[in-house]
Amino acid sequence: MAKILLINPTVREEDVPRHVPYGIALLAAIAMEKGHQVQVYDENAWRQGDEVTKAVCVADDWDIIGYGGITTTYGSVKRIAKIAKRYAPQAVQVMGGGLLTSMPREMMSWLPEVDVGCVGEGFITFPEICEMVDRGGREFWDIKGTVSRKPGGGLIMSQIRPLLHDLDSLPFPAWELFPLEEVYFKNSQVLFSEEGMLASRRLDINASYGCSLICRFCYHLGIAGDMRYVEDENGEMNVAFDQPGTYTRSIRYHSPEYVGALVKHAHDKFNVNFIGFLDENLMTMDKFSGRTWMNDICKQWHDLGFAPKANDDGTWTGIHWAGTSHATLCTKEVLTTMREAGCSHLVYGYESFAPHVLKTIGKGATRESNLRSFFWTLEAGIRPVPNQIIGFPNEDFESIRMNMHAWDDLGIQVKPHFATPYPGSEWFTTYRERINGQYDGDLERFILDLGDASSISAVISHNFNAVELLGLREAMLQLNYRRIDEYEQIWRRNHQIPDGAPSTLLSENMTGAFLRDADKVKNAIKDSERQDAVVETANAGSTH
Amino acid sequence: MSNEVLRGNFETRDKVEIKQSEETLEDRFEMEAKKRLGGSIAFVSKKKVMWDTDKK
Repeated sequence: MAKILLINPTVREEDVPRHVPYGIALLAAIAMEKGHQVQVYDENAWRQGDEVTKAVCVADDWDIIGYGGITTTYGSVKRIAKIAKRYAPQAVQVMGGGLLTSMPREMMSWLPEVDVGCVGEGFITFPEICEMVDRGGREFWDIKGTVSRKPGGGLIMSQIRPLLHDLDSLPFPAWELFPLEEVYFKNSQVLFSEEGMLASRRLDINASYGCSLICRFCYHLGIAGDMRYVEDENGEMNVAFDQPGTYTRSIRYHSPEYVGALVKHAHDKFNVNFIGFLDENLMTMDKFSGRTWMNDICKQWHDLGFAPKANDDGTWTGIHWAGTSHATLCTKEVLTTMREAGCSHLVYGYESFAPHVLKTIGKGATRESNLRSFFWTLEAGIRPVPNQIIGFPNEDFESIRMNMHAWDDLGIQVKPHFATPYPGSEWFTTYRERINGQYDGDLERFILDLGDASSISAVISHNFNAVELLGLREAMLQLNYRRIDEYEQIWRRNHQIPDGAPSTLLSENMTGAFLRDADKVKNAIKDSERQDAVVETANAGSTH
Repeated sequence: MSNEVLRGNFETRDKVEIKQSEETLEDRFEMEAKKRLGGSIAFVSKKKVMWDTDKK
């Protein structure tokens, strides 16, 4: 059987490690189930630098060294690939995750050390690669869902890997291979609610994959039915994701019984007192199931005795939990049910309170649904976590003021993210030329620059540059309307936009590339206006 | 305290152990101060400073 080393790359160095990498923990469990010899080195948890990464590479005769993660792990992955090549040259290097999937050809060209990439979901592809390596084969192009190197040079994308629909066939993640006691449980706290703050033994689970909505800044990792293979301009097969007018989705979720059994396993084996749902959007699944899924998960919580009971000292018995909601898809009833089962907080991507901005982002939410869900959630006893973003393509002074008024009225304390065109998102495709322009044509520099969107990278706003967005965010945080009014006057003079006219550069008079961009935005807006139909169509074509 | 950083379903040929460093007072101070950075809260991160008194 193959001897496999899985490395979890470093991410978000400015913060302590908080999340066991769910995908790697699952792949480790799958590989062990198939009989392979598996070791995990969690570089992100230990943060010991290159010397220890080198030591794990020479600790045994690895057949496979696998790594991957989200886009922001790129800097770490690049370093790991070089160390692995130098100190374990015999090992086949396998890369996967959202990072590889969003740009497989670019990644394979930037990282010559990688032998084979898992494009999209790796649940079946990765064990098939392990089996091939174990029997001495290297014809990775025979395995669906791979990108690999042709013997004479160049890359081969094999056929697309269909998504796994029987999710309950997956084993539980191999949490025991990660430093839970030494690292993760110490960082269990999540400052989104009182219960989250007091969490001392937290694990995260994924109960579903994908989201029916078409937020244009969102990347679904190629596992939401969002990925297609198309011929690119060079006649070569490549991945394609959401584009204006082309949205595909597949909705998949575990059964409530699987979720209950998984939580019981986390409780019995690791004594957890908090569960974080990593799901993109719990409410998509609930709606798609005919409003049974969340109810049945909550019933599992009660039946297993995990619904929390408060102690006199403020602690509790049982397991609190938290996840993601959606302004339009949630209902008052389900929120109440969730609270009774121990839900402490729900993340809402409200993004903006300006109707003209919300119309363009594909979220399927309005100012009214944002406000409605906000109060429903509070009334249910759950803390809503009201995420905000500024710097959308049509962000203007009006939307900035509308957001400030909403924060002021609703008591929202927030430091908004910047709209960021992550690879794999629709806006990455739409604004690729503009992104390249901001990084002197060096796309790899952009990838290395990407963080969690609380810092600024490529700007996609048509009205504001990076410095303006940074300054405006600071004034917004202080609710300093006067400074924003003053700057608007300067901005209007600079751009020759008269008082009374909308504070936007999205006019008919734009020329060249900017006009093309504006057309794309207009098309996107058109799509947004019929997004309910789009989402329904996507749902109708899905299975679970 | 030392820790074995490789975890898996078999014994590796070599062990890779690390000594988990204890948080120093300096680390703790800098982390706490960073949380309140701004206004009169400012500090020098000693790990980053280039300290060469021979140079002018």
